[in-house]
Amino acid sequence: MKKLLLLTLMFVFTVSLIGCSSGNNKTANSEKTPAASNGNSAKKNEEKVKLSLWHNFTGNDLRATMMRDQIDKFQKDHPNIELDIQAIPPDGYKTRLKTVAAANEMPDVFMMWPGAMTKEFHDGGLIQPINALLDSKPEWRDGYLPGSFDSFTIDGNIYSATLGLTPTSILFYNKAILNQYNLEVPKTWDELLNAVKVIKEGGLTPIALGNKAAWLAQSSIISSLADRVTGTEWFLKAAAQDGAKFTDPEFVEALTYLQDLWKAGAFQEGFNSIDNTQMEVMFAQGQAAMMINGGWALSNLAANATPEQLKDMGATVLPSIPGGKGNPNSLSGALGSAFGLSSKVEGNRLQAAYDLIYALSGPEVQKMTLDSSNLVSYKAELDESKVSSIFSEVYKLVNSVERTPVYDGVMTSAGSDAVNNGLQELLMGGDPQKIAQKIQDAQATSLQ
Amino acid sequence: MTAKARIRGVIIVGLLPALFIFCFFVIVPIIWSAWYGFYDWKGIGAMKFIGFGNYAEIIQDPVFATSLRNNLIVVAASVFGQVPIALALALVLRQSTLYQRIIRSVVFLPMVLSSVVIGIIWGYIYHPQIGILNSLLDWIGLGTWKQAWLSNPNISMYMLAIPIIWNFIGPYMIMYIAALQNIPSEIEDASAIDGAKPMRMLFSIRLPMIWDTIKVTVVLCISGSLKTFDLIYVMTGGGPAHSTELLASYMYNNTFSIYRFGYGSAISTSIIIISMVLIAGSQLLMRRNTR
Repeated sequence: MKKLLLLTLMFVFTVSLIGCSSGNNKTANSEKTPAASNGNSAKKNEEKVKLSLWHNFTGNDLRATMMRDQIDKFQKDHPNIELDIQAIPPDGYKTRLKTVAAANEMPDVFMMWPGAMTKEFHDGGLIQPINALLDSKPEWRDGYLPGSFDSFTIDGNIYSATLGLTPTSILFYNKAILNQYNLEVPKTWDELLNAVKVIKEGGLTPIALGNKAAWLAQSSIISSLADRVTGTEWFLKAAAQDGAKFTDPEFVEALTYLQDLWKAGAFQEGFNSIDNTQMEVMFAQGQAAMMINGGWALSNLAANATPEQLKDMGATVLPSIPGGKGNPNSLSGALGSAFGLSSKVEGNRLQAAYDLIYALSGPEVQKMTLDSSNLVSYKAELDESKVSSIFSEVYKLVNSVERTPVYDGVMTSAGSDAVNNGLQELLMGGDPQKIAQKIQDAQATSLQ
Repeated sequence: MTAKARIRGVIIVGLLPALFIFCFFVIVPIIWSAWYGFYDWKGIGAMKFIGFGNYAEIIQDPVFATSLRNNLIVVAASVFGQVPIALALALVLRQSTLYQRIIRSVVFLPMVLSSVVIGIIWGYIYHPQIGILNSLLDWIGLGTWKQAWLSNPNISMYMLAIPIIWNFIGPYMIMYIAALQNIPSEIEDASAIDGAKPMRMLFSIRLPMIWDTIKVTVVLCISGSLKTFDLIYVMTGGGPAHSTELLASYMYNNTFSIYRFGYGSAISTSIIIISMVLIAGSQLLMRRNTR
């Protein structure tokens, strides 16, 4: 009897412990949000129009409060439009949205992401294009930088107008340190390797890297570095597995370049176990001469460096690669999230939704976003008194170079995961050829 | 109907609500999860039935093999680290003098901290540039031993086992102390009168009398180690390049990072099977030892 009791207890323990972890699988899909289901229930009343709006501007930063103010203003200006607003914190936002998408209960207007998510929603017939809105406001449409609609466009239809821009591979450098070693800002790969050698001999870390989360080397380094070697066209083909493969020699060559940089001692010890925030602190405090990072670093740099240190910082693109097929004057970057429109919105609700989207993404909002130290993919005049010097330098840089795709913005999640882990392996001395093979396998399998 | 049967009936009725809740929140999700394991499913869109396809992939998946190996390291470290250390501490600290109470609290302390905090603390101990461990090695003149403790795949798993052991000694120690204090003092007195030396007392009286507690703690240890996730997730995220991946973190990454819900569910089911096997095995071994 006692033994039986003991056995039962054991069973209960194991099962409950594991039950917790597997139980989580379902929460993402079983929770339904009634608030989102009023899509079809618009009243026949011609005067009053109901729209549901989902956004993730819940924070207290400048941009989020600015956006909330704009929503309030819209409500005041349009008394005939009744908004049902759900503000969901960014961490849980994507999961909530995917949940209602799975149940086909999309809100009318909602924040969504370019690339994979837009494609998924399009394939599921959940969203409708906003070409008509853009064409009705040509001065707004033409204000966008080139390529601003590309990852929101499917079959020539534009599904959203981006609110932001995230450059992912900026080479930040410390002018004071480069001066100290009599170095120029590296423009070519050889100059970079030389700078690495000189700074390392001087006892300082040449390039700070924090690759614990693994996406950093992918988003910030390989997205741009590989583009220099292979050209954008090759990458788009390889990602679609259409006429190119990740095992092609040009991609292996790109991996080898990165490995050579590591072998030259460019990065500090143990970079695979520190995160990108720590790397930003290292650079901000002058412990490293350079750092390859995205636009998200700007706010962290502003928080961790004194104004004098900030003035010493400069930003440029990654150096050119000899014989590379890509445009060396380019920078990988992703479009920011923006408002999508549910396919169920029609009639006078459609006009109201157009007004709402314009009010929240029009030229004025783009300008205000920029002034709150967030980059936009829009030609807006920057008020330099409101932002740091490094921010305006990055802003100028982004406006003067071509934008190339980010690897994880184009590849499938499984493919990107293979790149992330493959790069960690590469930077521990793994064989580029084998790593390329793993990436190729993951991308090919996940596309089936 | 006898009185005994009536009492049993009352007990069963009394257990029903708890049993119902347990089934609904634990058993049913497990069955669901096992069911999803037979599908190719991205979380959104159609579920495609692929039979044992996910399981066939698991068997061939080198990363699954790595995470199983790493997890067995954690199990071994827990069973052969936590249990003996906790037992030794319990034997030393089983009385309740002020001094012993203080030490006991200190040993129990890590259990009170959130594992995220522990992960961050140990992350700084092992930090390659500003870590305490590396500074200590420098200070005692062993600078050549300095390492990037968490990014060297040859040692990182063992370095991660140390905070895991440290974290969970406390609760086992408390269980052993409780068990030791439950031994009737008559038995200890009688053996003392019979002239038993401390060692004899330990192996012939104390250990046999708390053997059931030890068995339970070993089960807790194994199942706890197999669901280890939070510390690893905070300290290395399973990296670099999957070298510190555990079953639970691999399941999480597959399910929630790359949205392979079917494959992730199949991994969860495998974790259940593996823990059942390990626990049954450990119980068999320990039963033979007593008789």
